[in-house]
Amino acid sequence: MVKEKIAEALINGDVEKGKELAKQALDEGVSAKEVLDEGVLSGMEVIGERFKNFEVYIPEVLQSAAVMNEVMEVLKPALAEIEEGESSTKGTVVLGTVEGDMHDIGKNLVALMLEGAGFKVVDIGIDQPASKFVEAVEKEKPQVVGMSALLTTTAPKILEVEEALKKANLRDKVKTMAGGAVIDQDFVDKNGVDAYGPSATAAIEITQKLVSEVKNNAS
Amino acid sequence: MQVNQVHNATPQFAVLSRDECEMIFRAALEIMETTGGRFLNDEAIELFKNSDALVEDGNLVKIPAFMTRRALNDSPEKITLCSRDGKRSVRLGRNEVHFGTGSDCPFIYDRETGKRRRYTRKDVNDAARVVDALPNYDFFMSHGLASDVEHDETYDRHQFMAMVKGTSKPLIVTAVDGEGLKDLHEMAIAFCGSEDNFRVAPRFGVYIEPSSPLAHGDTSLEKLLYCAEKSIPVIYTPCPSAGATAPATLAGMLAQTLAETLQGLVLAHLKKPGLPIIMGGVVTVMDMKTSNYCYGAPELSLSSAALTDVSKYLNIPMFSTGGCTDSRIVDEQAALEATISLETAFLSGAGLIHDAGYLDSGLNGSLEMLVLCDEIIGMVKHLGRGIKVNEEYLAADVIDEVGPGNNFLRTSHTLKHYKDEFYFPTLLDRHNIETWKAKGEKILNDHINARLDEILGGHEPEPLPEDVEKKMQDIIDRADKKVASQKS
Repeated sequence: MVKEKIAEALINGDVEKGKELAKQALDEGVSAKEVLDEGVLSGMEVIGERFKNFEVYIPEVLQSAAVMNEVMEVLKPALAEIEEGESSTKGTVVLGTVEGDMHDIGKNLVALMLEGAGFKVVDIGIDQPASKFVEAVEKEKPQVVGMSALLTTTAPKILEVEEALKKANLRDKVKTMAGGAVIDQDFVDKNGVDAYGPSATAAIEITQKLVSEVKNNAS
Repeated sequence: MQVNQVHNATPQFAVLSRDECEMIFRAALEIMETTGGRFLNDEAIELFKNSDALVEDGNLVKIPAFMTRRALNDSPEKITLCSRDGKRSVRLGRNEVHFGTGSDCPFIYDRETGKRRRYTRKDVNDAARVVDALPNYDFFMSHGLASDVEHDETYDRHQFMAMVKGTSKPLIVTAVDGEGLKDLHEMAIAFCGSEDNFRVAPRFGVYIEPSSPLAHGDTSLEKLLYCAEKSIPVIYTPCPSAGATAPATLAGMLAQTLAETLQGLVLAHLKKPGLPIIMGGVVTVMDMKTSNYCYGAPELSLSSAALTDVSKYLNIPMFSTGGCTDSRIVDEQAALEATISLETAFLSGAGLIHDAGYLDSGLNGSLEMLVLCDEIIGMVKHLGRGIKVNEEYLAADVIDEVGPGNNFLRTSHTLKHYKDEFYFPTLLDRHNIETWKAKGEKILNDHINARLDEILGGHEPEPLPEDVEKKMQDIIDRADKKVASQKS
């Protein structure tokens, strides 16, 4: 019951209610994993679906994400215990806007969608040189690296990230994806990037595909 | 004889009252004093540290209102942009309107294959020739981004060459960074003779963007400071999207936009007083379904017209937006969005109206759309002529002479006035259905393509003297060599 209510609070964008219910759930002995899967992620799934159908717009999605983040804060200590044993996420994605580019809205939307879909997202921020992407990959061991560029002048920096990952012998351990106003399939193909996403919602499917490719390669 | 007569020589249009303009200006001053802005450039921070501005947290600059007032007082209210031969064809004063393109679209539809592909130097040159040929365009921005260059770092020089060779109309340029702008300036001096000649009769203005909200990037500031030093006209124009990089309320977006432009102006003033600054901004909304930055939204036109009112209040020329669309192709959506923005921007009296010919939310620099917008601008300009009301034009005597039940076709009054009073479309079809069918049932896109083929096949712009072209090419080669040696 309380799990459905958490999902409902998330859908309604009610931060206080979400926090309160999460605490209550843990007190009642519901496992953090269950709250995450059947409360948070199922709520985000509904919002994601409604957004796809234009029943809600971006500000509502952001508000639901805010609830998600607060609930996750409550769950964190309990989740940490679980993670010792098994991974609770579907995969890890490092995201950043390339060097010289200050734009973060598109990247943030992608981060939000991926978090809502159950991925762990490490957002390294805007204006990030290739070396920072490499550092993050070394530290976080993600399956996917996402690069964002809005400007025609900064799009070539995506190539620098690709090169830097190769030099650091990390390129075959991850799949890469790129997005942003000036990026298209053609650009991605020419520059050796693995995938292109035309929108934040498209990022979910692409990430799922890339993550499973990496996991299959590894196994 | 009549007394106390008031004539509207042209239609009257305003969004904001004087009081509302003042409220927006004061809100901008408040933002500049309290919130401040980030300046990511060492020279800029040095200049602010040696002034009355507060510099906090390394690069956060808060500017007291009196500094803004001082910078505004020293800025010219009249700016001129000249054609290649020095003709002063774009005179920016109150309610003097000029139309032109936008710049740096990455994509174009190939006219042979119909496929979307990257812009080339030849495409930029084609766009320049189209604007050169069409009568309703007053200035040219590159329209597309020349991507068929060896080094991205020097694309601006190659692009400028393609622009200059394609049209002699006044230009507004974009540059990669301070060094790039310096090279463009030097290239322009090659055809105007000297730095002084350029200063007195500027052959281009420079388009520079801060990053909303309230941040100013390193290369933007390099360019701004170079313009201040050399008195090159600057369009310092934010591109906020309400709800995302600015408040969702349009008044809030305008206050923030103005603060961003004025922050740049104060910095330029510290470098050297008197920068010819043109304010503006592509002030629009983020579509909350798609996160699209909207080029065809009515909010764009409403906000731009309001910002134009503020520009008149401050006596700074305005750079507004029109003739662009979110539609991915030249279709009904493109035509209606472009029409609304061109007409609104025109009636608001903005000095420069840019982005005519943009498709695909600013990603596609269409040549077909340029041709279509030329016709729309022609019609819009006709609206701006207003209606002459006097004895000759009231024509009571002619009406009396013709009398009830007859017609005016054969009167000398009709012969004398119809050409002047009527608009003659170049693309629009007014044939009756039988003639239209007999002429092949052509639709607007057919007429656009025919006109475009005619221009691209036949129009030759004023050629660039060989020695000038060589001088300009030498500057490009020098820049390319420098980048190549840095890379190796």
